[in-house]
Amino acid sequence: MLLIPCVHCGPRNVSEFAYADAVLPAPDPNAAPPSVWRRYLYMRTNPAGWTSEWWYHQSGCRRYFMVERDTRTNEIRAAALPPRPADRGAP
Amino acid sequence: MARLLARSPITPPPPLVVAEGWEVSGRRSGAALRLSDCTPLAKLLVRGDEQGRFRARFGIGVGAARLLSPDLLVIGWGPGEWTLLGPPGAEERLASVAALDRDDGGGEFLSATEVTHGHALMRLAGTAAAALLAKICAIDLGDDVTPNGAAFRSSVAKLVTEVVRHDRDGEPAYWLQCDRAFGQYLFDAVLDAGAEFGIEVDGFRPPWI
Amino acid sequence: MTSAGTPPTIPARMTRRLAPQAGELIDRDRQIVFSWDGDRYPAYQGDTIISALAACGQRVFSRSFKYHRPRGLLTANFNDPGCLVQVDGEPNVRAAHRRVEPGMHVRSQNVWPSLQHDLGAVNQAISRLLPAGFYYKTFMAPRALWPVYQRVFRRFAPGGRVPRGAAEGYYDKRYAHPDVLVAGGGPAGMAAAAAAATAGARVLLVEEEYELGGHLRWGDAAQLARLAELRTAVAAAPSIEVLANAAVIGRYDDNWVAVAQRDLPHARERLIKARASVLVVAPGLIERPYVFAGNDKPGVMLSTAVRRLINLYAVRPGERAVVLTANAEGDRAIADLERAGVQLAAVVDARQGEDVVAARGGGLLREVELAGGRVVEADLLVTAVGWTAPTALLNMAGVRPAYDPRAGRFFPRDLPDDLLAAGGIAGDGTLDQIVDHARAVGREAARRARARGGRSAPPNPLPALPIDTALSLFRSSTHGIVDYSEDVSSKDVVGAVREGFDSIELAKRFTTATMGPAQGKLELVNTVAVHAEATGRDIAGTGTTTWRPPYAPVSLGALAGRSFQPVAYSSLQPWHARQGAKPLVAGQWIRPDHYGDPAAEVRNVRENVGIIDVTPLGKFELQGPDVARLLNYLYVNKWMKLAVGSVRYGVMCGRDGVVLDDGVTGRLADDRYIMTTTSSGPETVWRWIENVLQTEHPQWRIHVTPRTSALASINVAGPKARTLLQRLVEGIDLDPEAFPYMRVRSGAVAGIPGCFMWRIGFTGELSYEIHAPAAYGLQLWETLLATGADLGVAPFGIEAQRIMRLEKGHFIVGQDTDGLTQAYAAGVGALVKLDKEDFVGKPELVWAAQRGDQQILVGLQPADGSIVPDEGCQLVEGERAIVGRITSSRLSPTLGRSICLGFVEPRLAAAGTMVEVRLVDGRRLPVRVMEHHAHYDPEGLRLRV
Repeated sequence: MLLIPCVHCGPRNVSEFAYADAVLPAPDPNAAPPSVWRRYLYMRTNPAGWTSEWWYHQSGCRRYFMVERDTRTNEIRAAALPPRPADRGAP
Repeated sequence: MARLLARSPITPPPPLVVAEGWEVSGRRSGAALRLSDCTPLAKLLVRGDEQGRFRARFGIGVGAARLLSPDLLVIGWGPGEWTLLGPPGAEERLASVAALDRDDGGGEFLSATEVTHGHALMRLAGTAAAALLAKICAIDLGDDVTPNGAAFRSSVAKLVTEVVRHDRDGEPAYWLQCDRAFGQYLFDAVLDAGAEFGIEVDGFRPPWI
Repeated sequence: MTSAGTPPTIPARMTRRLAPQAGELIDRDRQIVFSWDGDRYPAYQGDTIISALAACGQRVFSRSFKYHRPRGLLTANFNDPGCLVQVDGEPNVRAAHRRVEPGMHVRSQNVWPSLQHDLGAVNQAISRLLPAGFYYKTFMAPRALWPVYQRVFRRFAPGGRVPRGAAEGYYDKRYAHPDVLVAGGGPAGMAAAAAAATAGARVLLVEEEYELGGHLRWGDAAQLARLAELRTAVAAAPSIEVLANAAVIGRYDDNWVAVAQRDLPHARERLIKARASVLVVAPGLIERPYVFAGNDKPGVMLSTAVRRLINLYAVRPGERAVVLTANAEGDRAIADLERAGVQLAAVVDARQGEDVVAARGGGLLREVELAGGRVVEADLLVTAVGWTAPTALLNMAGVRPAYDPRAGRFFPRDLPDDLLAAGGIAGDGTLDQIVDHARAVGREAARRARARGGRSAPPNPLPALPIDTALSLFRSSTHGIVDYSEDVSSKDVVGAVREGFDSIELAKRFTTATMGPAQGKLELVNTVAVHAEATGRDIAGTGTTTWRPPYAPVSLGALAGRSFQPVAYSSLQPWHARQGAKPLVAGQWIRPDHYGDPAAEVRNVRENVGIIDVTPLGKFELQGPDVARLLNYLYVNKWMKLAVGSVRYGVMCGRDGVVLDDGVTGRLADDRYIMTTTSSGPETVWRWIENVLQTEHPQWRIHVTPRTSALASINVAGPKARTLLQRLVEGIDLDPEAFPYMRVRSGAVAGIPGCFMWRIGFTGELSYEIHAPAAYGLQLWETLLATGADLGVAPFGIEAQRIMRLEKGHFIVGQDTDGLTQAYAAGVGALVKLDKEDFVGKPELVWAAQRGDQQILVGLQPADGSIVPDEGCQLVEGERAIVGRITSSRLSPTLGRSICLGFVEPRLAAAGTMVEVRLVDGRRLPVRVMEHHAHYDPEGLRLRV
């Protein structure tokens, strides 16, 4: 069973986590045409190699964080919290 | 109006007695491994920034627990959240311990929520406690990883459970806290796993913490 | 018991029992009795089932898989393919491993009608008509006859009888977190474990046999002395946990290692899930059988089998032996045989170019033909031709072992840092060299474990063991059995190549070689070698088939026996159960479906007052200055102006515009809201809210607290609800002017402080949903019943509530919607506020509104109100066109007719349109599209009183 290095709790069994999604930039919901929006909603590239993913530590700290994972070896290179409000500018 | 009687989600094994307004088991066990339903303890959930003013007040972060006074335990089960445990009925005392001037934090958002009724709480005590938990919990319970005072939230018997190691008089012990609705399930799962160690139910009685 | 010093007399029946041996495992003071195929046999404590039978002269223990050939001892350990038996209710017991217990009933398997007279053996006579692939090819057609074929084949198929009931006994699981897990408790495993422990590591040492020691156990006096030293070193280290009679069955990501431990005092079997920082693989080597004609006759054994029988169990393996030896182990077997009084008819030294060609005899071995044509009479043929490296755990870690033709076996290469190898799998050498190497491995394993999984510390290089050259002996000039478990011969493998299966992975699947109970341990390399010979390739170029978990058999009980399934109960569920309520499993909750008569429960709510336990309704407390923003973003409707004391209904969609959840939210104070979700939704909604708060809008200052089970939630519904509550509330004015519909008030109910209640109308009647601190839930419930007895108050269950909500036309997310139902299709288009700047699902809902082409949820009433269409029935037009479906359907006790909710195409959605539903029996039933979802009181007058 894979270990996921939770930013808060340290390495835990993958069964404690829920995979959320690929880390993707969202298009402007009020401007994107259907083709662009639906590519964002549904199309995923499924690479053989490094991916950026959102994971949710459902049975632990209940925090979302980003993980870089190699789909070929399950090697995990980095785990990071989402950017804090200060990093994103004003609300 | 009848006197108020509070009940745990865990059916108390007879004999039934009333303690501090709660219907609890009056059973007494001196077994080497014991499980007690401690749901009546007062519980307060306080939240703020991970490195904010509560952290400064309580002196612990995620993964640790300490006694604020002989009968008051603060536990860091998650980032930016602390749980206070105290004697039955001590909700207001806990709230005063957690009271901070809400407008004095430079924008830090703080909250305190009474969760006495939201959780089932039990205490597992005895030398075989870690061996029992190793049957239902995937966290390393060795002394170097989970020493006295260590706290974590993980899956116990496939249920999200909050665990804190809190030995008493040198005897290893753990508090286990879960959502109230699953209290009976967790209690039964611990008893089942403990059969090989001769676990017995011990009633609810002081010392509370 | 006998007095010390005088060995007890060997029972007469044990004709092949030897005098005491230095390393024997049997306790001659403790004699026990068991039965074999109905006859009583004596045994000593410590005997395996097979060693006990062999001591009594038994030589045949099963019939083979396909040809029903008699099979005897081959390896005399767990892997012995001919020694699978039935023990009482337990099939497929490894009888050369399982120890005899008093009173055991042991039976042979795969025999019909009996071991001695087996009808299936006729297959043997026609074996050349039964080549690999015979069953696939012959019985493929006609397909209709396959069930008949299956019944006939079952008679001849292998395996024991599985008991019909559940397996008896307790099956356990536990986790472990060793710094170093050593797989294999031979000399290398023991040395590595002791060295790792001395270096400060917590060690789990796993050994398949009942005791540590590996091949030292059947060694000479010097080896037994070394064994005692190593055992002492292991026993002296408190940080080593030894699991004997246990097998590492798999290695998974990040050194997640599965261990099956057998026959514990409290459990039949235990699955240990170990997270090892470093895994040391030290399984030793497995002796490889030799392929020649008749190599599966009872009496043909491996040299290690002979040495085990003599030294561990004091059993003479035969009377007159031929020994084919190519190595030192074979030479030692010769010495053991001589000591055991076995007559040596011939020693065939492969190193001198000598060879064995065939083993012959009617059933049992009677004579051996040597190369050159000499025929020797013998009842025992011992082969010692070489070794197989069980690299399974290495392969499972992604390692591809390399074949060394000089040594004739595979070796590890390019090991990841958290994996080390010791002992015979790593190389050869003297015992001292192997132990020294293993100690170095153990120390390095401890060092890497300290550096947390070995990733962050550069690994130190390890000394290498020498590698001896060995003869590459796989097959003689004749053909024989390659896979004993599956009855696959070398001829089958050659035939497979001739048919085009020139890839070893394909040939394996076609012949089923390596796919039986031995799982490659005995037959893999021979299969590869024969395949390589037939294709003209070498072994390295042929490669091997893939080793996959489980490496050793594990019971279903251990895998599934103690599985956990959390169950949720409301504070009132014990009361419901005492009242005999029919339990309903709803997700993780157990809820009362009804208390006997759901229609009567409906009528009582419509006429008097009823109470229902709605605790499982998902509830969240939302605190903070930005809660309204969150609600405005999550729900399709508007929330910025919800006043304190008010309650609003909301529908929540996903980014795809599909309805995710619905429920009411009340504002209890300026910065304090209670949100409710569907009973099945809280976990999903919580995860979704945290996603929004943590990844999209971390600037919003909101704390979310789950409240579902913290509050006992009781809905008091019916025209007399207010009358009842007036008797119980304190500090709440129930006057309809002061507390109108869709408002929330806080106060005490039945003396319980800290309650709040809101007026909502799921049932369609005047109703108050009370939320009380959960520990007082039962007291509140009982007080309501006692106080309202004169008003006719009675509990009602989920079924009555479902009927009433259908009468009122309220849809249920997941029942009346599915994974494609967007908000407009659910018929709540009026709620959707597309003029909000942003909310979840907005783009899709904008486009859906523009298209207007989705099927839409409507109220439906069958023309014949006595017929209740099944939920899921389709609405049809003409012969073929499906134009909708029924999603909810009940007989309404209030209206005395059937009522439904369902989807129709938009062109059919106008009130009064008649459509047809196709019933399960094929009949067509006209149904009318209604103006409202609600069939009862569509204006909502009753709930606003």
